[in-house]
Order: sequence, then structure tokens, then C-alpha cells
Amino acid sequence: MASMRMLRMGLCAVLCMAAIACSGGGGGGVGVSSSGGSSSGGSSSGGSSSGGSSSGGSSGGTGNVANVIIDQGPSNASVNTLFTSVTVCVPGSTTSCQTIDHIQVDTGSYGLRILAPVLTLTLPVETLTGGNSLAECTQFVDGYSWGPVVSADLQIAGETAHSVPVQVIGDSRFTNIPANCSSTGGTQEDTVASFGANGILGVGPFELDCGNCDTVAGGLYYSCATTCAETTVPTNLQVANPVTRFATDKNGVIVVLPSVAAGGAANVSGSLIFGIDTQANNQSGTETVLTVDGNAELLMTFNGQSLANSFIDSGSNGIFFNDSSITKCVAPPSDPTSQIVNFYCPATTLSLGPLSIQGMNGVMANNLTFSVGNAQTMFNNNTFDAFPQLAGTNPNSGSFDYGLPFFYGRRVAVAVEGATTSAGTGPYIAF
Amino acid sequence: MPSIHFDTCKRAALGALLIAALGPGIASATLGEPEVSVQTDVARAHASIKSSQDRAGYRVHEIQLPSGTVMREFIAPNGQVFAVAWQGPSRPDLRQALGQYFDAYASAPRSKMADRRHVQIQQGDLVVQAGGHMRALSGRAYLLSAIPSGVNVGDLH
Repeated sequence: MASMRMLRMGLCAVLCMAAIACSGGGGGGVGVSSSGGSSSGGSSSGGSSSGGSSSGGSSGGTGNVANVIIDQGPSNASVNTLFTSVTVCVPGSTTSCQTIDHIQVDTGSYGLRILAPVLTLTLPVETLTGGNSLAECTQFVDGYSWGPVVSADLQIAGETAHSVPVQVIGDSRFTNIPANCSSTGGTQEDTVASFGANGILGVGPFELDCGNCDTVAGGLYYSCATTCAETTVPTNLQVANPVTRFATDKNGVIVVLPSVAAGGAANVSGSLIFGIDTQANNQSGTETVLTVDGNAELLMTFNGQSLANSFIDSGSNGIFFNDSSITKCVAPPSDPTSQIVNFYCPATTLSLGPLSIQGMNGVMANNLTFSVGNAQTMFNNNTFDAFPQLAGTNPNSGSFDYGLPFFYGRRVAVAVEGATTSAGTGPYIAF
Repeated sequence: MPSIHFDTCKRAALGALLIAALGPGIASATLGEPEVSVQTDVARAHASIKSSQDRAGYRVHEIQLPSGTVMREFIAPNGQVFAVAWQGPSRPDLRQALGQYFDAYASAPRSKMADRRHVQIQQGDLVVQAGGHMRALSGRAYLLSAIPSGVNVGDLH
């Protein structure tokens, strides 16, 4: 395993160097080419998974449809993780561009974040009035990611957005992490390995990654000169859901994934469609429209419990809820602190339900059912990376987190705040 | 604090003064420490105590942070802080809130099954459980041996 990992890194280094050598100067830009798109650092997971079918290619899709794939990702260990490719360019340039594959598609966050080690471009850092640089301490549940906010032109499939604030995580120009950032605790996630992706594309139902950072210096944004201090930020400089900055098809996304066999599958591919009711391929129909609250949450009811902090989220890799009657997994003696203990390991597959989901608009999706399989068996499977029955406990006793398994076999629309479609007004989730 | 708007410079200076005044002792505040450390938390975070409430078996101080996050500190009958919990757009200063237990939390091995949405860590006596998503993070940390008898961990939020 270790030797495989080293081999992969060596291959990457060769590919990256080749790409730089071929770019012919011009500020270190890497030209976009149809074959070179997937060569950026950390690409390729096991076997043929990152072949041209989905995440490769210069645009990874056409028009308003981006290709998405579930594979083991650059860490070669991901499960139920949805990836796409994004092309980033120096603002105003059509040649200083780079296509980065294995960017995680996350309906539970907002904004594009790229891991610095895979970025070969030098993108300009956003500056505040007075000239200080803008940096961000992004807080994920299990850790934090530190780095500057830069400006980039973006292309995803055929969609473009100009001068979008994007975070670069682990940038070598910003190595002094403020104590206020590291004190939020958890793991520092600033490498591809620790992040499990080359970046993350937050396309949730809001525009900005912070609800009040224009008026409150709340520990997310920092103003940096020789040192960095917490700051407020005008909304136009805050890291934003790139979809909201597209020229067209900007009112939301639709994630379309096929059904996945109960025991799992390898390299499942699907579509990330931009816009709702803006093109022939993204029309609303008879789906159930559930308006989300200010935290993008819904009310789910399961086992007689009303769970007000529930959400549907492509960035969660399983179905996370609490049911003390389900057998949990056991840590192996070789790894006594393994977090496998937080997943469910029933001896036989369980069929559970009904689950109901209620939107803030009072609309309900009733009688949903789902299955829970043995997580240990899934994690032991080195071939498959999509598991519809992966489930575990939820640290929040008032929450049902229905992750990527929800999206299998469904067409899930995420309308951003303020969007008006024929089905309703955002923010909503519809399926 | 009457206002959530706070001059960054003043704030940094005050923080530096406090840190200087408290010295190394700053690391030994809050979780596992006497109730008086709650005041230290409030002062350092420029926060305000929203409410203090006696529940069966323990007392809860609810602290409103300028960021919008609410932190709760749970006090056992012996006066010891046995749990802290938070909910809001960002985490509180956990180095302060977890005190001597922070390093155990921060250095806990990350699971390869991780998805940035869940943490459930046990390191010795310390348990940290966190969940949620961007703009809505929640979590709690408690000391297994310090939970007063009869208290349901599920109620600590």
C-alpha cells in the first residue's frame, strides 16, 4: 500500500513537471488541453477510475452539464464522495488556466476551495481597503483549513464566472496560522491527503459561506499584513457559491445520479446540471419542493423523533442518524481508536422507515425508506467506492444527516436563496 | 459586552493583555476546572452570559459569542466544569474551552472514513462529538469521569 502511494506521487511529480515544462512560461500558467486536464497533482485513483469518461477532459462536460464521478479520489480512500473538474484561470486570461479534477461536489457548503499543492497558477489575493490581504479560516466539523482568498475566473462544463473569490488552502505564502484559527480545534486540513480531494465546490442553497461576516468579525475572515487579525469583509469579497456568479443558469443545481447496487459499485458517474428552469434539460416537474431554513436544514421525523437539525447533503458520505437498536461496528485490535465505531454494522441488512422530511414551507415527503448495511464490509471492499447502505451515528441527537446515498437514483435540485423557479422560491431542495 | 461590534485593534490588545496577565495558567481554564473559569471565557471572548440555569444535577451557563455562536458550560455540583457545548456559525475558542484537554482533541487521529461532517473522538477521559455543516456547526466535549450521576449525556447541548 505504501509503495503504491509512493509510486503514485512519483507519477504525479513527473506529470506535473511535464505540464509546467510544456506551458511555455507566461506566468506559470498551464494551458488547458483536452488531454492534459486530468494531469494536475494528486489525480487518478486506483485502476482506470479517472479515465476519460467523466472527470478528465478540459471541461468535464458541455453546456450546463458537468460530469461527476464517485471514485476513491486522490487519497485513494474515499467512499461516497462525488467529484467533478473545474477550470480556473487568472482573471481576464484565457491562457493562464488549469483544469483540476477531483474537486468534491458539496451541496452542504458554499464556495470553491482548492488545495494549494495542486494549483500551478498564481492567482491574485483579494485585498481589503487599505491594502491588507484577505485570508480565511474555514471551519469544517472535524477541523479547519487556512489560506488566502484569491480571485479567479472559473469554467465548469460550459458555464463561466469571472473574478470569483476562491479560497486556496495551504498556500505557502500564508504559513502563519493565527492562534484564533488553530484554536477552533480539530485537524488542520491543508493537504490533498488530509482533505481527501483536490478541492471542494460548495453549491449549497446559499450564496456566501458566512451569514454575517460583513458586519461581524467572527473568526472566519482575517486581514493580513505581517500578521493576521479577524476582520469583517464586504460581501463581494467573501467566498461565494460559484454557480451564483455564472453568467447564466445561476439559480441552482440539479444532481443526477443513477441507482447503485445494494452491495456497492465502482466509479459511478452522473451529472451536475446548472440552473433550474433555464434550459430544456433542467425543467421542474412534479417533484416535492422542500424549503430549507436559514441553516439549510429541514425537519425529519424518524422512529418517532422530530429531528429539527436535519439536512440532505452530498458532502456527507453516509446516512447519519441515531438508533440504539442497531449494532455498531467494533474497532479492530490493531486500531483501537478507529472511528469505525461510529458506523453501523448490522449482521444482516436492515430495511428502515418510514422517514418523513418536512420543509419550512410545510410540504412533506412521506414514507421514505432506506437500508443500512455492514459498514465494516464496505470499508474492507477496496474495489467499490459507492455504497448506498453506509450509515452511522449522528453526534447531534437532533439531526438526521442524509448524505450522498440520498442522491443515488434521484434527481435532486438545490435552488439558491432568492431563486424563483416554476416549482417555488429558493432556498429549497426538491426531488 | 453591550455591542457585538468591536474594534479589532482594541480587541487584539485586550486579548494580549489578558494572556500576559494570566500567563501559562490560561491553558488550565474551563473543562475540568472550577466554575470561576467561565468568567475567564467570557472575558477573553468578549462575550456575555445570556443565562445561568440550574437543572437537575448541574448548572448551565449560556454564553453568547460575538460571532453568533452560543456556548454552554455545564457545572457539576462540586463546582467543576464537566462539559461544554456549542452551536452556531463557527466554533468557539476550543483551546480555551477545553483547556488542558485541547491537545488531546486536536491531535486525535483523523479517520479515513471522515467526511468533514462528523467527529466522535474519545481520548482517555475526554469525549468530543461534533456535527453539522458550514454555517451551522454544533458539538460538545465532556469528561467521562466527571459527569454527575443521573445526568444524560444526550441532554448536554
